[in-house]
Amino acid sequence: MTMRVINHPVLGKLQERNQITIYFNNQSYQVYEGDTIASAMMAEGIKTLRHHEESGKGRGIYCNIGHCFECRVQVGERKVVRACLTPVSEGMEIHSLTAFKKGDGSHW
Amino acid sequence: MNDDKTLVCRCEEVSLKTIRDTVQQFSCSSREVKLRTRAGMGYCGGRTCRHVIDTIVSDVNQQAVADEVQLSYRPPVRPMTFGVLGGCCHDNESY
Amino acid sequence: MVSLLIIGAGPAGLSAAIAAAEQGLDVKVIDEFSKAGGRLLGQLHQEPNGDWWNGIAMGEKLHQEALRVGVDIQCEVSVFDISRSATGWTVYTSQGMMETRKLLLATGASEIPIPLPGWTLPGVMSIGAAQVMGNVHRVKPGNTCVIIGANVLSMAIANELRLCGIKVKEIILPAAGSISKDAGRPEKVLASLMKLTHLAPTAILRQAGKLGKFVNPSFAIKFFPKKGIKLFDIPIRIKKAAIEIVGDEHATGVRTVAISSEGKEIPGSEKVTEADFVCIAGGLAPMSELASVVGCSFKYVPELGGHVPVHNERMQTNVPNLFVAGNITGVESAKVAMAQGKVAGLSIALESGSTSKEIELLLKVAIEEVRKTRATALMQFQPGIPEAREMVYRQFLLEEQAMKRKESVS
Repeated sequence: MTMRVINHPVLGKLQERNQITIYFNNQSYQVYEGDTIASAMMAEGIKTLRHHEESGKGRGIYCNIGHCFECRVQVGERKVVRACLTPVSEGMEIHSLTAFKKGDGSHW
Repeated sequence: MNDDKTLVCRCEEVSLKTIRDTVQQFSCSSREVKLRTRAGMGYCGGRTCRHVIDTIVSDVNQQAVADEVQLSYRPPVRPMTFGVLGGCCHDNESY
Repeated sequence: MVSLLIIGAGPAGLSAAIAAAEQGLDVKVIDEFSKAGGRLLGQLHQEPNGDWWNGIAMGEKLHQEALRVGVDIQCEVSVFDISRSATGWTVYTSQGMMETRKLLLATGASEIPIPLPGWTLPGVMSIGAAQVMGNVHRVKPGNTCVIIGANVLSMAIANELRLCGIKVKEIILPAAGSISKDAGRPEKVLASLMKLTHLAPTAILRQAGKLGKFVNPSFAIKFFPKKGIKLFDIPIRIKKAAIEIVGDEHATGVRTVAISSEGKEIPGSEKVTEADFVCIAGGLAPMSELASVVGCSFKYVPELGGHVPVHNERMQTNVPNLFVAGNITGVESAKVAMAQGKVAGLSIALESGSTSKEIELLLKVAIEEVRKTRATALMQFQPGIPEAREMVYRQFLLEEQAMKRKESVS
């Protein structure tokens, strides 16, 4: 069952949009142009976007408008963005940030 | 409530117990509790938890919240790369 | 260099941009979000006359209007610093430096959280986050939810979530304590709901509001049904509190207890309400950060949601060439923010030496409109707003006089 609100009693029917493919942790997903990374992943039922640097506990969106920085994800090789503010684009490769490993300097 | 299981600062994972104990021990301000515990010092710049910290401090110290903004804001108010700060690249989201 | 840069493309920022551009100023608006509209984007509720307040449509209307009068709107821009320049302000953003003569801060409000065990689990979000996800992105964060925090905002959004096809299982209180304060005490919650709802979006709350004129809340709470009252089929249970959000990988429910009128836990009443996601509704606070960075003085005003930059009714701050409008000046409805925005736009045009003769008059009318809008606002977040506003204006005068004395001495 889709999590998209296709028919809304007041806002009306959801506009048709182009489907695009994005990758989250190397898995491909069919999402829509106009989605943010956060809304696209939420529509796919994926709630965990990163793991806390130290405790390693899962985190997802909290404020959804760019204030809390909880939803930050890595796009491509090194860019880190807020999933809630960043629109998806065709072929986008997104990775969860993971907990620091002791003695591993790769995150720095 | 379970104070050590209640995280107040999500970024730095600082618990309600740690914050309350620190305020009690040092009768400290929001700023001092931030410096001592790192609560409000993480990625979001305290945007999420600052009001809660002010509330705890005011509650423990039995003082009304002051007119000055308690945890001062210092630029950059958003995390930015050195490239953006230096003005040599324009990119909304790169930390 | 523009004559006016506005930070925040919400109801206040866009309205100010339109008013200023109509007076001939060249105006630029920047916003961090990918769409203009700000908090309008999520809003959807029914007016007493049955019409829908469609924030998304209103946001779009303001956006189009602003474009029509020549406003430059740039989204996906984050501001990280502001400094004074010889001609006004330099604003440092993720898209480079921007120079302006006048600056308007219309950054709105941020949500106040209610920390409790388990609230960092994925699937726990602020009530505004769920609103934006459902109404703007048109994605449900889950099929069922529990809302923690019973206030005007949470009730309005609960109904919006219902319209998205989400089953809101219940609205409950946070556990009483030093963080939740009055929001965790049923008697206080009922009292504030009864005070605030004389124009509430639903008959049931209006009824409660009328009742409030005659009935003492501490008396009413005794008769408040344990299973709650229903608003649009959503149970509001103010004698029930959340003590923990449960789940391993993500939230799967809320552990609750029954509470007394004062918020005391009733032993042996623990239960778990299952839900796909959990919303936290701790209320709103003005976003003070940029005003703080540029050196505004502040006043802590609980009725307005927290720390607000000291300003006057013309939306001037005590920092030259710096103006504020909308929720940064105190948490109120979007309609008030729009009216304030218009005042700010005209006030800035006047200060920029606009040649229009009518502008003083227009400004007077716009200020009157703010008062009128405030008096008839559907959503009143706190009681005592007009009085609190007057207090802030008096503070502005005091500081202005003090500043003038200092200048005349030196």
